[in-house]
Amino acid sequence: MSDYVIETDGLYKVYGRKAALSNLSLHLPRGGVHALVGSNGAGKSTLFRILLGISSPTVGWSRVLGTDSQTLSPKTRGKIGWVNEEHTLPVWMTVEQLVDMQRAQYKSWDEGAFREVIRHFNVLSEQKVGQLSRGERAGLNLAMAMAQSPELLILDEPTLGLDVVAKQVFLESLLFAADHDECTIVYCSHQMDEIERVAESLVILERGRLASFSSLESFCERVSCWLLELDGGLPLDRIPGLLQTREVDDLTQVVVLDQDERFQEVLESFGARSVQRAPIGFDRAVNAYLNRNHHGTRLEIH
Amino acid sequence: MIQIVTGDPRPIFRQIVDGLRMKIATGELEPNTKLPSVRGLAMQLMVNPNTVAKAYAELTSEGLIETRKRIGVFVCEPRQRLSDAERERRLQEALQHFVSAVVSLGFDTEEILDRVSVELEPVKSQHDGTRGSGESR
Repeated sequence: MSDYVIETDGLYKVYGRKAALSNLSLHLPRGGVHALVGSNGAGKSTLFRILLGISSPTVGWSRVLGTDSQTLSPKTRGKIGWVNEEHTLPVWMTVEQLVDMQRAQYKSWDEGAFREVIRHFNVLSEQKVGQLSRGERAGLNLAMAMAQSPELLILDEPTLGLDVVAKQVFLESLLFAADHDECTIVYCSHQMDEIERVAESLVILERGRLASFSSLESFCERVSCWLLELDGGLPLDRIPGLLQTREVDDLTQVVVLDQDERFQEVLESFGARSVQRAPIGFDRAVNAYLNRNHHGTRLEIH
Repeated sequence: MIQIVTGDPRPIFRQIVDGLRMKIATGELEPNTKLPSVRGLAMQLMVNPNTVAKAYAELTSEGLIETRKRIGVFVCEPRQRLSDAERERRLQEALQHFVSAVVSLGFDTEEILDRVSVELEPVKSQHDGTRGSGESR
């Protein structure tokens, strides 16, 4: 058994003149919940399509559960659960017909796991799938994916469009129905509060490349926020590790990567007064990181 | 029992450790109180069970809680496991942190000291209670 659920090496996917994945090398260890974060167009969907064998890489290779993802056997494919944001299911079937079909597809179908998840949702077996609410469809999708007894469960924006209650029920089912030693979860989301609760490690994709892979805590430790007063402007291109700057009233806020206490002197050398380090939470740290290549175009510092 | 918030500068793991440590220090959680299971607390807080397990491991290594096999997790009797030098070092570190955070806020020293006393009040009565030999009767 491979120690990694997902391995990619030098992976490229090129569409015309655009590279959706660019030299992506990712080694995701077995076990736990890994969050996958990236701006729109960072290459998440392309990566999933390649991993599931739906699409083939232009250059490079990828393995899932130790097997080349281009030659997945039905058996290995059955060990990968997949829940996406669409929650598209055949609307004309009843819940019972759909579940019967899935049960017949998967040899390792775990009825207990299915019931454990579905009981949190108000889904009746005689209901037409088309009559279910978005939250109920999400629940049904998750229950069926869990029942596959997957070794790898990929969730792509699963709570998108769910209301607060449905979201909570969904997360609860996810966190407590799965045995996270047996089943590795890749959780793809833009909801930082969910990621903070659910995930142990954080993968950041940026323009088709792997930008960061660490625990949530060590990622947060790398990002620091500074408040300062300033008369002139800051020479943005000379600030080490700059992620984001913003002006709030008379204060300038600077978010940087991998800077220690000495950064205060750097700021002071640019004429900054009353420099203070301010606490920064996970959501802001990630957002600043994802925005880092936009600071030149989005913000004008006078 | 404890609250956690997302978006806080402290990671959730740290919030759980701090929250329980405070409750134990103030005596709100008395020695031999049974804590929720890892899964139970994770469900209450809606967080990953591994995060709670990590927090429990940290508190166990600090000697604040212990796992009794097949019974559960319990609050320990208070005891000082750190050396005097280490206690001194940690106190100094915490003080420096605190001072650098409040120095520019414009409160005068007396006011800050008063506020610190108020915050320490619940902890103080607890320590007096456990150390005083029979006085509490």
